[in-house]
Amino acid sequence: MKAPFSPYLTGVAGPLRGLIARLGERYDSVSVLATDSVGFALRISQRAKSVGSDTMMTERGVVVRVRKDGQYAEAAFNDFDPAEMDRVLADITAQLDRQTAVLAAAGVRAYETAPLPDEPLTLLAEMETGRLPEREDIPALIERLSALSDAGMTRREGLLDCMVTAQSTHVSKLFLTANRDLRQSYVYSEGGVAMLAAQDGRTEYAHESVADRAGPEIFDDLDGKLDATAKILADKLGAERVVPGEYDVITSPEVSGLIAHEAFGHGVEMDMFVKGRALGAAYIGKRVGSDLVTMHEGAACAVDVSSYAFDDEGTLAGDVTEIEHGILRTGICDALSALRLGTAPTGNGKRQNFEHKVYTRMTNTVFDSGTDSLEDMIASVAHGYLLEGFSSGMEDPKHWGIQCIVERGYEIRDGQFTGKVVSPVVMTGYVPDLLGSVSMVSPHRETFGSGGCGKGHKEWVKVSDGGPYLKAKARLG
Amino acid sequence: MLNTILDLLRASTADAWEVTDTQETGWEFYLIRHRLDQHRVKLTRHTHVKVYRRFGEGQFLGSASAEIPPTANAEEAKAAIDALCQRAEYVKNPAYTLVAPDGEAQAQAGSVDVAAIARDFLEALQAVPETQTEDLNSYEIFVSEKKRRFLNSEGVDVTSVYPSSMAEVVVNARRDGHEIELYRLYHSGACDRDGLIQALTETLRYSRDKLIAQPTPALGRATVLFSTDAACEIYNYFISRMSAAMLVRRISDWKIGEPVVRDAAGDKVTVRALVTLPNSSDNAAYDPEGARRWDFDIIRDGIARQAYGSRQFSQYLGLERSCVPGNYAVSGGSATAAELRTGPYLEVVEFSDFQVDAMSGDIAGEIRLAYWHDGEKTVPVSGGSVTGSMLTLARTLRMSREQRQYDHLLIPAVTALDGVTIAGVE
Repeated sequence: MKAPFSPYLTGVAGPLRGLIARLGERYDSVSVLATDSVGFALRISQRAKSVGSDTMMTERGVVVRVRKDGQYAEAAFNDFDPAEMDRVLADITAQLDRQTAVLAAAGVRAYETAPLPDEPLTLLAEMETGRLPEREDIPALIERLSALSDAGMTRREGLLDCMVTAQSTHVSKLFLTANRDLRQSYVYSEGGVAMLAAQDGRTEYAHESVADRAGPEIFDDLDGKLDATAKILADKLGAERVVPGEYDVITSPEVSGLIAHEAFGHGVEMDMFVKGRALGAAYIGKRVGSDLVTMHEGAACAVDVSSYAFDDEGTLAGDVTEIEHGILRTGICDALSALRLGTAPTGNGKRQNFEHKVYTRMTNTVFDSGTDSLEDMIASVAHGYLLEGFSSGMEDPKHWGIQCIVERGYEIRDGQFTGKVVSPVVMTGYVPDLLGSVSMVSPHRETFGSGGCGKGHKEWVKVSDGGPYLKAKARLG
Repeated sequence: MLNTILDLLRASTADAWEVTDTQETGWEFYLIRHRLDQHRVKLTRHTHVKVYRRFGEGQFLGSASAEIPPTANAEEAKAAIDALCQRAEYVKNPAYTLVAPDGEAQAQAGSVDVAAIARDFLEALQAVPETQTEDLNSYEIFVSEKKRRFLNSEGVDVTSVYPSSMAEVVVNARRDGHEIELYRLYHSGACDRDGLIQALTETLRYSRDKLIAQPTPALGRATVLFSTDAACEIYNYFISRMSAAMLVRRISDWKIGEPVVRDAAGDKVTVRALVTLPNSSDNAAYDPEGARRWDFDIIRDGIARQAYGSRQFSQYLGLERSCVPGNYAVSGGSATAAELRTGPYLEVVEFSDFQVDAMSGDIAGEIRLAYWHDGEKTVPVSGGSVTGSMLTLARTLRMSREQRQYDHLLIPAVTALDGVTIAGVE
């Protein structure tokens, strides 16, 4: 079925056009993004259950972007009442004028930015989904997830808890200018199984997840995650610490995705180029990885939780080849940064929600596949680790440092697993060294869309990332 | 709309309910090299409703929550509340009670001058003493007035009005054609002009030293000193493990009246919950469930004293009185900062993302800048990582008597852990 576009947004589209016209009398250009995204979030454990309506992307609100004398400003609000158009206008203009006065009093000068192009464009994208979150039988789902939590408790003796989560969001967004009317509607869902156990005073946690641009039907796959989660927990409880040093590593698709995200995801967000914060700007056309490394980024390059039809500035979804056979080709860019840099936007202008500013953000960031089998990769390792699962990553676009906290390393000696597990593993290094050391790439490729991505330490958005198994050299600690 | 929602709740099948109504006026400024890139204003209102149903002769309590947008009409609001009442029947949790009025004055009146605070930030950031080689690349300023009203079916109706600010600052330093950056994110109530300038002056010094940093030596195990905001992670480990939710879920095995660290050879930590700290961004008199906050010891001299947390988990734990604190103060140091800085130690002042896992106790972080003091000379170093486990490292914890505030946390200015694993790059 198609995810239907929000009736609320359909209803306010006309009045918002009126608002654009009225604001157009005062400002050089005006655009509006209006959102109406609904969903549910269930959290079931042996200790407590909760059901709510808030997910990372549920929201209803309006953000107006205006330009005057080369200066862009925005007003975000969520009480738009077409019957009170004069009050809405007065609120927006009075607040922005007060800000301008404070800026002047503080002696702040401003950049001038060109007007955004506004060629006529109309789009209605209602994407496929199996089911809709707003029509889901929540009581039945609570019962099913409760049974799953109970079943999880039988997978291992002495488990402290088995948590099961499920959240689904029906996203609707409307982008309007004087000449544009873009509407999109899609559903994404994510769920997970987590198990907790304590051993020798240490509490450990294992987690497996499902996520996709799909409806609540994906929660049917959670049943198959119980055994895998229990195995991960056993591995972590029996893990040792890695001896710090440089090793041959094979990264699972999930860890490969983390590297893609942290290495040349953040590193080529071009709003960082505008600020002179990214080393990548000086490396376009230069080698940053081995010949086996090709990487794509874009809402249109995969189908996962961040695969939309247009971004939060009304730019259509793209598919950018960031790295081609080890050569850095280009970055990703939001619309205002593109104006500053004299380039084209790539459909990567995203907001945490209507209340937040647009930044250049990732969507799906994925390494291309290769031809080496996983078996051959393992057989080629003299001493190293197969790295699986992760808890976090952090980049340094200015210095190309990378930190990946990987959950588990499975030791390989002379091409064989030894049975030894290390956890957690801090993988650090210099990005071109890490990507330059990629020597084997598997045909298998996956994307993962659970969790979120911040910019610095804020601005959380949904992204997916992934790739195949990669063999490389990395420093582990 | 709020009155409509309250009327609908009173007429619904809900056995109890809570409403949190938050209004925010927010101003934002985005500057690059001290020049304005964009400015934004935010005028929002969020009304969250939680309904409760009792069943099983009062043994169980079900709940369900949702936000009802201010643009919803009465029909939509009623449909949302009806759906919550139905869903709550299937969320079977052991019963607990909601916060009741405590008979004291329940209004925290006041207003926030968002424009004045915003101007303070703009002027303070322009006053940071930059040089030809160390300066501010860019910064983002967020200033809000938050007005949070909480009501429940027991008769609680409390309002908190408070400022909440955030400044994200990126610092650059350059030398011989090479440039580096350091990142800072400051949270506060209003603008602490002097504190902000002082903190950024320190960051400019770090940025200069990062340029001349040598590769971190492979130290094996070493004493590590934490003297920047990364230390908050260490104390959040102690705070988190005393939360009722972690105790009920048995993620934390700490027990009231017992030491939180077995065989501690170092300082014994004291953690105190505080209603207010100067210029904290969470100086609200009431917690998110309407419970009045008060000052109390969570851990005193290394002994677990009082858990804290939400109504639900606090009652599961058997606490008669509880709240979710807004601020914390950590003390217990026996030495001065200067005394801690003796002998060989690695003082890490910049991590990529230092983390302490409150569940497992694992600590990990990539070193972006540290000072290796071999007992005689001090060398700035970079690269590699620190790892270890608080299960053993906490036994060696030493804290300075001097304290330093990071928003809602007042912690020792210098914290030392012995025997931390250092993966060097030398």
